[in-house]
Amino acid sequence: MLGGCASGGPQLEAIDTLGYPERVELTDTPFFPQREYQCGPAALATVLAASEVSVTADALVPEVFLPGRQGSLQSELLAATRSRDRLPYVLPSRLDALLAQLAAGHPVLVMQKLGAGPWPGWHYAVLVGYDATADRLLLRSGLEPRQEVSVARFVTTWDRAGRWAMVALQPGELPAEPELLRYLEAAAGLEAVGRLDAADRAYQAAVREWPQEPLPRLGLANLAYARGDLREAERSLRAAIEQAPQDVAARNNRAEVLLQLGCPASARREIESAQALAAGGPHAAAVAASATRIAPVQGPDGPGCPAD
Amino acid sequence: MFKRSVIYVLCAAMLNLGSPMMANAGMIGTLQAVESSTRAGDLSIVASALARDEVRQQFVSLGVDPARVDARIAALTDSELRTLAGQMSELPAGGDALAIIGIVFLVLMILEAVGVIDIFKKFP
Repeated sequence: MLGGCASGGPQLEAIDTLGYPERVELTDTPFFPQREYQCGPAALATVLAASEVSVTADALVPEVFLPGRQGSLQSELLAATRSRDRLPYVLPSRLDALLAQLAAGHPVLVMQKLGAGPWPGWHYAVLVGYDATADRLLLRSGLEPRQEVSVARFVTTWDRAGRWAMVALQPGELPAEPELLRYLEAAAGLEAVGRLDAADRAYQAAVREWPQEPLPRLGLANLAYARGDLREAERSLRAAIEQAPQDVAARNNRAEVLLQLGCPASARREIESAQALAAGGPHAAAVAASATRIAPVQGPDGPGCPAD
Repeated sequence: MFKRSVIYVLCAAMLNLGSPMMANAGMIGTLQAVESSTRAGDLSIVASALARDEVRQQFVSLGVDPARVDARIAALTDSELRTLAGQMSELPAGGDALAIIGIVFLVLMILEAVGVIDIFKKFP
């Protein structure tokens, strides 16, 4: 699916022009030599420990190792990262995106395909540095605490594994060159599995980084709602709608919150706006369901309802 | 009469255990909102529930300690569960680079034994 990338690949010479240092080595990154088939736990422990989680490779085995596959799946590395209250940020599939994280001090967990034919040789390792002058990358890999590979060799094996790479960030910390939807997918993943404090810090960071975007405020509102703080939820959703009047999810959720705040008239107005915008979109069914519930609730707003 | 009202209260309390899900019924989740702008996938709750059961069975058949299965499932998002369902035997599982070296060695040994190659002659 990504064929044709292997031979070329972005050149390391571009580092200088992008403003990265010529040479980076994250020497403080710990090393966990892997046991048989357990490069997943070892690589994950490496990036987690680098983000100040107290963990060992052995402790991660029951969370990410699949005995029947003699290996670990990418989704489970993301899941175990979340379970340690760290944000798993999956990087864009470009070499310079990896180098940017290294330059910012984040070791990068990468997947490689080292084998061929019936022996696929899927492998996880951790990039801890590069040397642009020598055209080399530095990895913690398998039993090698400091493996040097040429850029071409690395890109070939990384490319065969679909160019998958991630960093583990402390909640509230942004990656180098953050992308809104990538970051929010990771933050919302924390929320979805119940790591609400970590999600909250990630959304706060996103609001600071992208103040004009409605999604981080939707996230904060959903967390406030989960805590039972309807007033705060309503305020966040109102702010989201001010940023993006076309945002169906924010309007739908605000209608639900207004109803529960005892403001049925405002709720009806909001859900009507949402319905008009939702037609044919991904949230049409959810909005229709909300409308069915909200529309029959008659009566005016109670006292203390927020003004539209 | 008193007993009956206690039972009602207990029933209500037990129903409340599931209340985060119930209360969220009308809310669009953040991840749902993000994913609606990143991929056109099947976001139905039914599909997610089926995926969860499927992944649970596959975890057990792939040798995960049954006591660990629930915690592992709980850490996955719905879209990850849908990706895993039915595919856990095919998706890339990063394991071991060392195994390959072992296999190559084994192949060389067999070729040597049947006389196709002769590279181990220096060893007794």
